[in-house]
Amino acid sequence: MEFFLVTLLNSLSYGLLLFMLSSGLTLIFSMMGVLNFAHASFYMLGAYFAYQTGLYVGFWPALFIAPLIVGALGAATERFGLRTVHKFGHVAELLFTFGLAYVIEEVVHLIWGRAPVDYRIPAQLDFTLFTLYTTQYPAYRGFMMLVSVSMLLALYLVLTRTRIGLVIQASLTHPDMVESLGHNVPRVFMLVFAGGAALAGLAGVIGGNAFITEPGMATAVGSIVFVVVVFGGMGSLAGAFLASLIIGALQTFSVALDYSMLDVLAKMGMKIAPTSLWHGFWSITISQTAPVLPYLLMVLMLIVRPRGIMGTRES
Amino acid sequence: MATPALQLHEVRKSFGRTAIINGVNLSISPGERHAIIGPNGAGKSTLFNLISGRFGVSSGRIDLHGESIAGLEPEIINRKGLARSFQITNIFPRMSVYENVRCAVLWSQGYKYSFWHRVDALDAVRERSSEIVDRIGMTKRRDRLAGVLTYAEQRALEIGVTIAGGANVILLDEPTAGMSRSETDEAVELIRKVTEGRTLIMVEHDMSVVFNLADRISVLVYGEVIASGTPQEIRGNKAVQEAYLGTEQH
Amino acid sequence: MSASTTVGQRSAAMTPVLTLSRIAFWVAVALAFALLPLVFSQSFALSMLSQMGIAIIFALSYNMLLGQTGLLSFGHAVYFGLGAFFCAHALNFIGAGKIWFPVTLVPLIGGVAGLVFGLLFGFVTTRRAGTPFAMISLGIAEMVAASALMFTTFFGGEGGIATNRAVGKPFLGISYGPQIQVYYLIAGWCLVSMIAMFALTRTPLGRMANAVRDNPERAKFVGYNPTRVRWLMMALASFFAGIGGGLAAINYEIVTAETLGLVASGNVVLMAFIGGVGHFWGPIIGAVLVTLLQSALSNYTQAWLLYFGLFFLVIIMFSPGGIANLIALHKPVWSAGLSKRLIPSYAIATLAGLPLLAGFFALIEMIYHFEAKETSSKAFSYFGLMLDPMQARYWIGIAVVFAIGIALVYGAKSLVGRAWENLTVELQRKGAV
Repeated sequence: MEFFLVTLLNSLSYGLLLFMLSSGLTLIFSMMGVLNFAHASFYMLGAYFAYQTGLYVGFWPALFIAPLIVGALGAATERFGLRTVHKFGHVAELLFTFGLAYVIEEVVHLIWGRAPVDYRIPAQLDFTLFTLYTTQYPAYRGFMMLVSVSMLLALYLVLTRTRIGLVIQASLTHPDMVESLGHNVPRVFMLVFAGGAALAGLAGVIGGNAFITEPGMATAVGSIVFVVVVFGGMGSLAGAFLASLIIGALQTFSVALDYSMLDVLAKMGMKIAPTSLWHGFWSITISQTAPVLPYLLMVLMLIVRPRGIMGTRES
Repeated sequence: MATPALQLHEVRKSFGRTAIINGVNLSISPGERHAIIGPNGAGKSTLFNLISGRFGVSSGRIDLHGESIAGLEPEIINRKGLARSFQITNIFPRMSVYENVRCAVLWSQGYKYSFWHRVDALDAVRERSSEIVDRIGMTKRRDRLAGVLTYAEQRALEIGVTIAGGANVILLDEPTAGMSRSETDEAVELIRKVTEGRTLIMVEHDMSVVFNLADRISVLVYGEVIASGTPQEIRGNKAVQEAYLGTEQH
Repeated sequence: MSASTTVGQRSAAMTPVLTLSRIAFWVAVALAFALLPLVFSQSFALSMLSQMGIAIIFALSYNMLLGQTGLLSFGHAVYFGLGAFFCAHALNFIGAGKIWFPVTLVPLIGGVAGLVFGLLFGFVTTRRAGTPFAMISLGIAEMVAASALMFTTFFGGEGGIATNRAVGKPFLGISYGPQIQVYYLIAGWCLVSMIAMFALTRTPLGRMANAVRDNPERAKFVGYNPTRVRWLMMALASFFAGIGGGLAAINYEIVTAETLGLVASGNVVLMAFIGGVGHFWGPIIGAVLVTLLQSALSNYTQAWLLYFGLFFLVIIMFSPGGIANLIALHKPVWSAGLSKRLIPSYAIATLAGLPLLAGFFALIEMIYHFEAKETSSKAFSYFGLMLDPMQARYWIGIAVVFAIGIALVYGAKSLVGRAWENLTVELQRKGAV
């Protein structure tokens, strides 16, 4: 029971983090038709910038500064990069973001090296929030959830209650019409891209010290975010939310479970000799299969229901 | 009467809750030239999309030579002998005129997904493609990339690609849209030539084209056929006059 | 694709299957392959040539998907790698005497493995095109890469599967021990694969793949199922990728999870794109260039991956048709004999580019060496000059050179632009464009 609750809480905070990333990706994709391969790179940059600025001004200012820097980078990427490539079509845009992700990772290597950096949870948040049975639940996880939820609430309010939010919503499906109505659609695009990047950066700020801050973090998280977006249905925020929680739970639970088919068979009274050919196969534990599970799920979804849980658009 | 080339029975189509086609009944004889006219938004293109398989019907039957084709994939319907052109030119822009036509010839000549035949060595394919290119009057421009042709040339190519497969039921969606008077006349002659002996169903707005070419006309208004008959009958039909051609007083 | 327009330009008269010029072309290629080792005989050159041969097959197979069918795959190395693994195991079986199979034909096993998995995975992936396809291909690649570390019997875990290519009875004295013999094996397969893949573009499937790429909807309305076309092209592309993988197993005598991993998949995308996906021979250029850069550059600088990525970005932003497209742009100029007109502006642009590039590379190198953990002097040699990242004057000097370079290139850009404008006008007058 304890295990279940603790893992559930962990998967919730992880899932919310995933949603911070996948929501930005979904917005950008819905609006501009561009699948931003570099989205997870912005996540990584958020963590690194928070680490670096944190060295000078501490965690709390960094919490605000880092996402802003990443947002500015996002705006610059859209303005000078994507806009140049836009005329060459969607494939070129996709490849541009792919190349960008590559370059960002190398720049991170250049500046911070290949080893993980010591980006730590701030001392003020490094205590136990509560104790569940025997496990001490860290306050930082609670903080992560707080930041995620408030950020997403803010996003929701902006999209539904403000004028710019309505323009964004309209541009999601009818950019040409919005432009004919006099709105500066390219500027809206830049705003959305920058906003998505900043959101990813914020996720990096709070996630980088909870998990790990190293150059490989972009690829690791990026693939999962793609799975989330495809699983939830490309273009659907609600789908991305559901998928984030599901995939988050899947990953968190599967990594912690050490059961294998051998155990199941043993419970049924069957034993398989260690020397048998199939022993190696049956002894694979769930935690060992954990890396594959999200992708397996995605492939299954694509076979059974290609548009995802709540998908509307294809591409 | 012989089996109709194309027959629609109580065909309906709704997108969500919006009903576009409200029970269309149509019967077109083999070899007939049939025009479908109607005000904008009446559902003419949707009807074509339903017949050619681009959309599925919400209910009703569509029979091609007596065989039900409602709900089949477009390529299956095409292989059964129905071909359509598009209102907005829909060709292969990066291929030449000749290659465009050749793509439309390949399946009908039986080569399907073959990757062991050299397409340049297939005499029948080459001859048929050249013949079609000649028939649409593009022999001099056969090696031009389709994307750089003039509008009228593209429309001619569109027709060429549609008929190249040898389909005997041909749907042309506003073939003369956007053409000048002389271009329209040329197009009409081309259409008359290439649909000789075949069944033609045409959506058109240009009344002179309609009355020039059509054996029979159906008038589609708000997703229903309000009248169907010879050009004379339609000209004299009061309901049609009011709904579409416009009454004497405005 | 240029191949398609070339055919269209031939007359309607009979075109025999093998023209003299065609045969002559391929014979020339074969001769070039045969004679290359005589020119580049050092062992590292032989290794690089072998690598290039494998890369050419891989990149060409990839372009069957991207350039010809419009399928952007981020997981093509899966088929390359699976082919490699199957061949490695096959070689081990041959070496242990469990089966008999000529080593020369072992790449075919890789091809078949690639084909089978291409059919299997392709059935799922090719139902969509465009961005969804790209994502699915990425997902499958991740899945296979993650599985590789799980199924250790077949994939050998972290260490991979080692093998020995000099197994079985030597055939006509060829044991495939020496690298030169492996080179000729690779060259032979490369030639055969190139011819086969080129011939494929001239088949009904190849032509319809182009059609499906450009307008899948229209393809439906002329009787073709676009999904079926994509599926078949995927299977065939995976076949050739598998052959490449088999040759890699023979060449390196080791196959690891990285062989089918995402970095390898990304690499072939780079190769194809830098070379140019719109022409059949584009990926060949890309494969050769990228292999060259990867081998050579990595010796001189730590930043070669960064340069690589930046190069790719530059190509995407300014010439997405790749190097092949840049070359093809000059073809009408060359045919009209007007290439001399471009020499002055190109020369100036090159001269302008030198300080820009020199300054830029120096800047990056300075940063790398600045961050290095050396305790002694961080000074390094840059094309013969000694630069010290710890002293400010070097930074200032480089920044100045870089700034000058930017200004010069800016000016040169308008010169080149104007030269092309005048040229285009003249070519139009001559009716060449």
